[in-house]
Amino acid sequence: MDLTFDARETAFRDELRAWLAANPPGTPPHGDEDAHYAWRRDWQRRLAEGGWAAVHWPAEHGGRGATLTQSAIFYEELAAAGAPLPANVLGLLLAGPTIMTWGTQEQKERHLVPILTAEEIWCQGFSEPDAGSDLAAVKTRAVKDGDEWVITGQKVWTSMAQYAKWCMLVARTDPDAPKKHQGLTYFLMDMEQDGVEVVPLKQITGESEFNELFLDGARVPDANVLGGVGNGWKVALTTLMNERSGLAFFLQVRMRQLLDQLVGEASARGLLDDPVVADKLGELHLRCEVLRLTAYRGLTAIETYGQPGPEGSLTKWMWSDTNQALTQLAADLLGPEALTDGAPWAFELLRARGNSIEGGTTEVLKNIVAERVLGLPRLK
Amino acid sequence: MHFDLTDDQKEIKRVARELLAARSSWARVREAAEGGARYDDALWRELCELGWPGIAVGEEHGGQGLGAVELAVLLEELGYACAASPFLSTAAAAAAIEACGSGAQRARWLPALASGETTAGIGTRALCADGVGAAVLVLLERPSGEAMLVSGAECAPLATIDPTRRYATVSGGDAEPLGDGGGAGARAAADRVRAAVAAEVVGVAQRALEMTLAYVKERRQFGVPVGAFQAVQNRCAQMLLDTESARSTALFAAWAADAAPERLPEAAALAAAAAADGGRAVTASAIQAHGGIGFTWEADVHWLYKRAQLDAALLGGARQHRARLAALAAGRVAASA
Repeated sequence: MDLTFDARETAFRDELRAWLAANPPGTPPHGDEDAHYAWRRDWQRRLAEGGWAAVHWPAEHGGRGATLTQSAIFYEELAAAGAPLPANVLGLLLAGPTIMTWGTQEQKERHLVPILTAEEIWCQGFSEPDAGSDLAAVKTRAVKDGDEWVITGQKVWTSMAQYAKWCMLVARTDPDAPKKHQGLTYFLMDMEQDGVEVVPLKQITGESEFNELFLDGARVPDANVLGGVGNGWKVALTTLMNERSGLAFFLQVRMRQLLDQLVGEASARGLLDDPVVADKLGELHLRCEVLRLTAYRGLTAIETYGQPGPEGSLTKWMWSDTNQALTQLAADLLGPEALTDGAPWAFELLRARGNSIEGGTTEVLKNIVAERVLGLPRLK
Repeated sequence: MHFDLTDDQKEIKRVARELLAARSSWARVREAAEGGARYDDALWRELCELGWPGIAVGEEHGGQGLGAVELAVLLEELGYACAASPFLSTAAAAAAIEACGSGAQRARWLPALASGETTAGIGTRALCADGVGAAVLVLLERPSGEAMLVSGAECAPLATIDPTRRYATVSGGDAEPLGDGGGAGARAAADRVRAAVAAEVVGVAQRALEMTLAYVKERRQFGVPVGAFQAVQNRCAQMLLDTESARSTALFAAWAADAAPERLPEAAALAAAAAADGGRAVTASAIQAHGGIGFTWEADVHWLYKRAQLDAALLGGARQHRARLAALAAGRVAASA
């Protein structure tokens, strides 16, 4: 057992810190979502020029072949520098690795570089109004027409669709398949065409990170099927398996920064002498550390056994619970000024409500823990 | 970065699990508990022959020369077995004296503790585990946070709700700070004792979780195993989360004790807070998930619940550790401002 970083890991961190110091991310514009996103796109372009956009990708595709621990270090340092995630985060974390696993040579050559440079943004067309946690229930249809597929249906919670050139789309190609997770196919769909309509979805924060995606006769050529017709479930699992590992470290550091900020503001108001306040802050500190430590245990498990241990299923749940408790405590301690329109804490409070829903609801995560980790039976 | 036990540590764990399954079954624990915390002498002799009390004591004093992580591994297994034994007190005290004690203190106490010839007590004057009959006590006195070495004290038996372990109240005796003149060393000794208790709690929680899983897979109501109901499943998922949270922090504290002493104060507070609350929550859930049978004397989950309660008390409760963590966080924020 060794909770220090070895020479390679330390060298990686030092090199990244030096690069961040020489190329300070700066501050993204506030208030205007489009301007903010354009800034993040430029930020990713700068990262890519420095060779830092996709450290976990193999060198042949423009990455650094970073280990999981190095990748965790990357996200920790990015957050510590106050930098946002790169604009094409879904392309880097999900589309790229999925294409590397399942793509043809042509698909890899066509798509990987523009993902890396943020020249082409990707979105994820999985969730539907009636297929949220239950992905296998997707209804969006793809019907063969010559050497093309014609897509009809609706997707929802599609973040970055308004900026995306491409969509990772899961659609039903065989409605008669005996089981519902069969008969699905994974498509790389061009967003810039008639038949694709993006409608922003206004969230409780007032922002529109997410969209609805209406597909009415959108066309995808055969060449853009990923992993074979009827194999969409397995390909989609590759995407989903990639989803939660690196981000945990970014989010963990961000939450720590938010907690430090709250501790600072509470201290400035003389609230730390209140034992009830100290108790709650101490608990949040504990939970932040538990998350960090457990995330590292998860990394070691994956590096050692090739798959996460029982602790691996817990980090997303821990993070969302803790972030919600933290932002709620801020509202308790700081009072009305944390609740005024436009106040950063007000945004954090509202945004945190989404944490336990996006990327797998806490309820579904508990089901997954119960069934797959603890081996409890399913109710028939 | 490798946050897992080494192969050697896993082997220690496996051997301990097997031995204790054979020697410290629930029947044996129950026998000891119902006899009023009557320890199993044969078990203690066997643990001593294996050199376990001195696992973290240097070879020059007759120990195994291993460290805090190996001690934590053994303690988790003793906790898992809920073994009726002075192991925790003796091994944790010996480890603290080894790491933090003065030369004279080490020479005086370690050889007999490492061999198991004498035993130690740990805790406070109000609640001391294994004080009766102990040669030496390591007491965690507040508010200084320093560990004190106490000998020649009067220990009066204290019957608690946990009859799988002997407890006492302490009065009198000769007390000196553990280490040369107290201070940081004596505080580190106290943190090492807390880390050890936290490690035991991980085992207690792990056992409660496993017993619960076995039960809810077996017990049927409405024609299905009760473990198929989501309300039961969610409870079990929470038990896993609490157990793993305690494990992450207990391992961190054990590692920090030897490898990163500057991080031990925080790590021990994390481990103590997570264990004190987590152990009680997991074992309480185990009783609930067992339903009516869980509330009976006949089922064994209550031993775990009682042990978790007393371990939490030995840790001084989670609240003081959360206060410590809040102060640490505030200090760090102030320093970086």
